[in-house]
Amino acid sequence: MHKAKKTVSTLGIHIVLLTYTLIALWPIFLTIINSFKSRKAIFRSPMSLPGIDTFSLKGFIKVLVRSDFEIYFMNSIIVTVATLTLVLLLGAMAAWALSEYEFKGNKWLGLYLAIGIMIPIRLGSVSLLQLIVDMNLTNTLTALVLVYVAQSIPLAIFILSEFMQQIPKDLKEAARCDGVSEYTIFFKVILPLTRPAIATVGVFTLVPVWNDLWFPLILAPSEQTQTITLGVQQFIGQYVTDWNAVLASLTLAIVPILIIYILLSRHLIRGITAGAVK
Amino acid sequence: MSASGGRFARFPHHIILFLAPATIIYTLFMIYPLLDSIRLSLYSTDGSGTFSFAGLANYIALVTDPQWSEPFWNALLNNFKFFCVHMFVQNPIGIMLAALLSLPKLTGRTTYRTLIFIPTMLSVVIIGFIWQLILSPLWGVSETLLSFVGLTDWFQPWLGQEGTTLVTLSLISVWQFVGIPMMLIYAAMLNIPHDLVEGAIIDGATHWEIFWHIKLPLILPTIAMVSILTFVANFNAFDLIYAVKGALAGPNFSSDIMGTLFYRTFFGFQLQLGNPTMGATIATMMFMVILLGVLLYLFILQRKLRRYAL
Amino acid sequence: MSDIQLKNIDKAFGKVEVLHDVNMNVKDGEFVVFVGPSGCGKSTLLRVIAGLEKVTAGEIHIDEELVNDVQPRERGIAMVFQSYALYPHMTVYKNMSFGLKLKKHDKQEIDHRVRHAAETLQLTEYLNRRPAELSGGQRQRVAIGRAIVRNPKVFLFDEPLSNLDAALRVQTRIEIAKLHKKLDATIIYVTHDQVEAMTLADKIVVLHDGRVEQVGAPLELYNSPANLFVAGFIGSPKMNFLKGTVASVKGTTVEISLPDGKTITIEHDAPGGENDQATVGIRPEHLLLAGPKEGLLKAEVDVVERLGDVSYLYCKLSDGTAIIASTPGTSEATTGDTIHLTARIEKIHVFGSDGTAWK
Repeated sequence: MHKAKKTVSTLGIHIVLLTYTLIALWPIFLTIINSFKSRKAIFRSPMSLPGIDTFSLKGFIKVLVRSDFEIYFMNSIIVTVATLTLVLLLGAMAAWALSEYEFKGNKWLGLYLAIGIMIPIRLGSVSLLQLIVDMNLTNTLTALVLVYVAQSIPLAIFILSEFMQQIPKDLKEAARCDGVSEYTIFFKVILPLTRPAIATVGVFTLVPVWNDLWFPLILAPSEQTQTITLGVQQFIGQYVTDWNAVLASLTLAIVPILIIYILLSRHLIRGITAGAVK
Repeated sequence: MSASGGRFARFPHHIILFLAPATIIYTLFMIYPLLDSIRLSLYSTDGSGTFSFAGLANYIALVTDPQWSEPFWNALLNNFKFFCVHMFVQNPIGIMLAALLSLPKLTGRTTYRTLIFIPTMLSVVIIGFIWQLILSPLWGVSETLLSFVGLTDWFQPWLGQEGTTLVTLSLISVWQFVGIPMMLIYAAMLNIPHDLVEGAIIDGATHWEIFWHIKLPLILPTIAMVSILTFVANFNAFDLIYAVKGALAGPNFSSDIMGTLFYRTFFGFQLQLGNPTMGATIATMMFMVILLGVLLYLFILQRKLRRYAL
Repeated sequence: MSDIQLKNIDKAFGKVEVLHDVNMNVKDGEFVVFVGPSGCGKSTLLRVIAGLEKVTAGEIHIDEELVNDVQPRERGIAMVFQSYALYPHMTVYKNMSFGLKLKKHDKQEIDHRVRHAAETLQLTEYLNRRPAELSGGQRQRVAIGRAIVRNPKVFLFDEPLSNLDAALRVQTRIEIAKLHKKLDATIIYVTHDQVEAMTLADKIVVLHDGRVEQVGAPLELYNSPANLFVAGFIGSPKMNFLKGTVASVKGTTVEISLPDGKTITIEHDAPGGENDQATVGIRPEHLLLAGPKEGLLKAEVDVVERLGDVSYLYCKLSDGTAIIASTPGTSEATTGDTIHLTARIEKIHVFGSDGTAWK
């Protein structure tokens, strides 16, 4: 009797989880399969997979021809990679200084930098835009990178300094006894050791930056500098009745992130769960 | 915070060099604009570029002058509704999924987790459009699905109707972001020592009783943290509404939230000219609301919940 | 209170076999201790009895009822965990009453039972405190109280003293012994500490690599260990093991030669042949100083430890075997001394090459 009861409840649990997984994935799945179908097929049989007579790449062709999709994509990559590099490097440096060296105001500086985690940077956009204009950086990817770095650095410093505090003291002392300069210690000893945390930071930085709509819209909306998120948004706004094109552009925007996610999902999930413990 | 590299004969250049770049960028591009926006909110402009000090006039106008206060209170109320939907739909679902995923001996746990988290990874723009298509009466996909459960008549173009747009958009947002509370609470549940659960099993508790009496009280601190994160994220929201409904957040401003109001006000949209000082005022109000929430959390909730420390 | 019977219990986690063919009985009111080194399977055996793990093969009977598929809460057991497993967000009172509340017992009944248990364990003044506000020893008592309140058929203790400091351990050990008598309870107790086993148990089950090595009363295991493992495990300091060779076999009389050439004679049914290896075991406390003529062993003293009431002499035999001899009082021996040791024949143990005891 107890065995039967247990099987039922296990089954029930899986049913609930499976149902939710379906709810989570189905809209995305629907989009992708329909982007490969002809317009008629999209409307007539939306739920079926693209068959031989319904297969069509019309939408993709239009997207790639009518819009500068490759440019948007490159822009997103440039911005994201540049932001990531700077955040990791500068964040690690600051985290190291905060966690390792005693100096007056260490605690206050740490607090100052940590405030940014909770405060949304967008609220300063009025002045930020003015600042970018004054610096002659409107419609440049540089502006985006600088803003994103400012946005992501507080959390990066927080995560990295917690991590660095756990590096055993002996390692650092041994390096110092060898008479090595502080810079060398940082770059040759500490930085390599923080690789696990860097994955976490990378993931927390990468996703919001890649997916952001606000700053590309406000600071760099020109054709040359649009990121993929903005590009897709504008494209769809323009071709809103062309379902093939719309679905194709959505699919093109989804696929890169999905690939990155599947490759990095382990790190991502470990990062979030580790962060939650704090 | 330890320090073993403390004794220096000469001035510690390296500390400055390590700290400077990050601090400078952070201060210049985050703190300064924020403070300057607050300063701007105390000025008014007449559109020609001249600014004159106005004290709290903008704030008073925002709250009382119908030209500003109607959209303001509307947006604030909508934001609150938006937040409520998240608190009462997103977080309970997240808790439930986390509870199920953290049950011992669950096969496929990692797979479920990875898959359920996928929507969270995608850009809000993409999500918004996908759902716009799915809910569009033109496509008919929703109607077909509803017919499977016999609810065809229930279908409405929810995204186009004043009364239902905001809730629908909120639910879309919930659909996308459930993964985050799910993950955070999952991690918290994993932290509960296994002995406690076994002790409860021996004490005779069913899985539900264990969840309700043991696990839930112990993860309350995490739930509080998830709540404040939801609060901050919701009051900062913009992307979804803009992507689906544009800056006017229709129909008839029924989906207007603080973010879209802010954008429209300071950037301008179609017929409305941008007004940087009022925009700054709105931003500062948003900042105050968020700050209030964060302070409440830090000083009241966190303290109360520290009693449950393991 | 009740009987427990384990028949042919096997337990494997995936491919790893943790318990092999375990058979044993626990009688109503007995205090049984499972003892053995880390990884021997004693905790697993306890958890199997509790119902927290399922057996791979075999039968568990509690009170004549087959309970293999019965849930823990219906087996009539209560468990005290090594880490106490107290609910941190509940007061001591709530911790103790939790199980009863779930079973929907009458409020007054619950109160009565909780207060009674609290009194027995001297916890009454802590009833409204949370576990975080209690010391280790107090938390332990709460864990025991939680078990008592359920009036179980069997109490299961999983290394309850491991997290306490030495002094508290001795004190709590005595309290547990007193509790056993007071409640007349059936207790199964798991520990890796043989001192706890020797002092608390009515019956000891020695486990090694998932197998039962020997079951018996404490002194029985001390005086008549069934094999090398039990002989070496029980008793502190450890029994000395010397290399012996079968010198001659005449019927059931076996002569065994010791490292220095002296021999001892024992009776054994199947002693094997001449020149077979055998292990001779003598406990340090049974070695007596003797003169060169009566002595069975010649040893050179390496280190002397004087504890006041007893002295330990760490010595080396002529074949290099290290042995320990303990003498009462303060020994006058010093490093480098040559001493001669002997022992009464009834205190000498002999083990065959397979490890089983011949005598």
